Amino acid sequence: MTMDFDFNSLLAFIIFGITIGVVYGIVALGISLIYSGLDIVHFAHGEIYMFGAFIGLFLSQELGVPYPFAIIGAMIFAALLGMGIERVFYRRLTQAGGGYTVAGMGMIICGFGMSVALMNVAFLIWGAGAEPFPVNLGMPLQLGDISIPQSYVLTAVVSMLLMVVLNYFIRRTKLGLAVRAVAHNKDIAYLMGINVPLVISLIFGLGCALAAAAGVLIGPMQSVQVEMGYLMLMKAFAAAVVGGFGSLPGALIGGILVGIFENLGAAYISPSHKDIYAFLLLILVLIFRPSGLFGVIAKVKA
Amino acid sequence: MLKIKEVHAGYGRLKILRGINLNVSQGTIVALLGGNGTGKSTLLKTISGLLPVMEGSIEFDKKVITDSKPHHIVRSGLVQVTQSKEAYPAMTVEENLMLGAFTRSDKAEIKYDLEGIYSFFPALKDRRNMLSGTLSGGEVQMLVTGRGLMAKPKMLMLDEPSAALAPKVVLEIFANIYKISQTGVTILVVEQNVRMALLLSQYAYIIRDGRIMIEGKSEELINDPAIKEFFLGGTVTDTSKELNA
Repeated sequence: MTMDFDFNSLLAFIIFGITIGVVYGIVALGISLIYSGLDIVHFAHGEIYMFGAFIGLFLSQELGVPYPFAIIGAMIFAALLGMGIERVFYRRLTQAGGGYTVAGMGMIICGFGMSVALMNVAFLIWGAGAEPFPVNLGMPLQLGDISIPQSYVLTAVVSMLLMVVLNYFIRRTKLGLAVRAVAHNKDIAYLMGINVPLVISLIFGLGCALAAAAGVLIGPMQSVQVEMGYLMLMKAFAAAVVGGFGSLPGALIGGILVGIFENLGAAYISPSHKDIYAFLLLILVLIFRPSGLFGVIAKVKA
Repeated sequence: MLKIKEVHAGYGRLKILRGINLNVSQGTIVALLGGNGTGKSTLLKTISGLLPVMEGSIEFDKKVITDSKPHHIVRSGLVQVTQSKEAYPAMTVEENLMLGAFTRSDKAEIKYDLEGIYSFFPALKDRRNMLSGTLSGGEVQMLVTGRGLMAKPKMLMLDEPSAALAPKVVLEIFANIYKISQTGVTILVVEQNVRMALLLSQYAYIIRDGRIMIEGKSEELINDPAIKEFFLGGTVTDTSKELNA
């Protein structure tokens, strides 16, 4: 990390920024999806991400499941966990009227409570220490003078794949159409014969699965620990706001921007304040474009 | 086909409907008339299952649907077309129509019906790939009506299809409703345009303060001086000559 200007290292920082950024992007995507479906910001999302990482670690280290399947396994587990939480806790509150009502406030508090509860459950199971997540993926990829670890390549590829699949699901399938209908207006969705609570549950599960995938992808780059969720939630939230809350492409672009901004800040300003830069970007966007870069007109969600 | 007995309903603790009795026989067009805030939309929402029935019972197609969930009611063939002209503005015209067929899985027939809707409303065909947010008021009304028909309903409930539309468009919309009823679909139409609705329907109910005040055959009500008085200063517009034309 030399301070004299070197084009290759700038490029490397940007590439690493994009890679970590797409991970922020898929977590933000989940937050955005849940926001459009339930009209709430899900504050326990970081903990779902953390659970996903631990499940992925467990599957690949303890059971010897190949890494790609560990991702899928963690996603399925998180989806079921999320749907369970939605069914048992959130549904009572959404039925009392969602989003902007007093019940909406209840949902935010419920989200925070869930966050604390999940963190403590994880603490009881896995302890407080940071667990390494070694995955042997082979030699780093050489791109000119820049060498990129395989885990970064895999992360970028898997994230993009998830985006494409999600986009296809939302845009092209009948169930995706129902998801968009529910996100926009629940009463009319009911009148179309859509089982709205079921679709909300599905949206919730989908958002949680995305968070878990992010957790398993980040694992090999950093390490896995109980408190990892909080910072991810904050950054994904920043990504979602930067991109425009409720906009799905916005969440991805926002994530990439946050990732690049953070990496460049750490490289050229100060690495010890790495985590500030995401919020600096958030503040700048909120000052100059409060609706976010892809800010959608209110009511035209997802 | 639809039997509503002594229904009380409303929002939370606020009771809007205070004992509604209403019947719609198969194959007919029945009009429900009344001014703003009289409970018309509340009644439709209650029938559709969006609002809970506090007292009384609702029966559709010989089955009790008093406590049924809205998506089950749609599946039983009772479909509501909403008032607020709410198409999904961020979806294309075709996506909106396909959403109407959500409860069906007979792909080939859905496609056939979609073409049917397009020949019934040619304006929609030209705009099939446009976002429905870009449509005019009349076109949106065609879209939500077409979307309702895509569910293959036994009975269609239309909530103020003429609201906020130009008189010429209103005439077209009512002509379409008549054509739909000719295909065997039973219709309950909620309206503020009293004269047009009475000309269209065979039987009519007039609602006020959550109660049915007057009911009778539409052809008798249309010349009833009490009706004229009831809606005096209201929304009665003389369009009978246009309809006969």
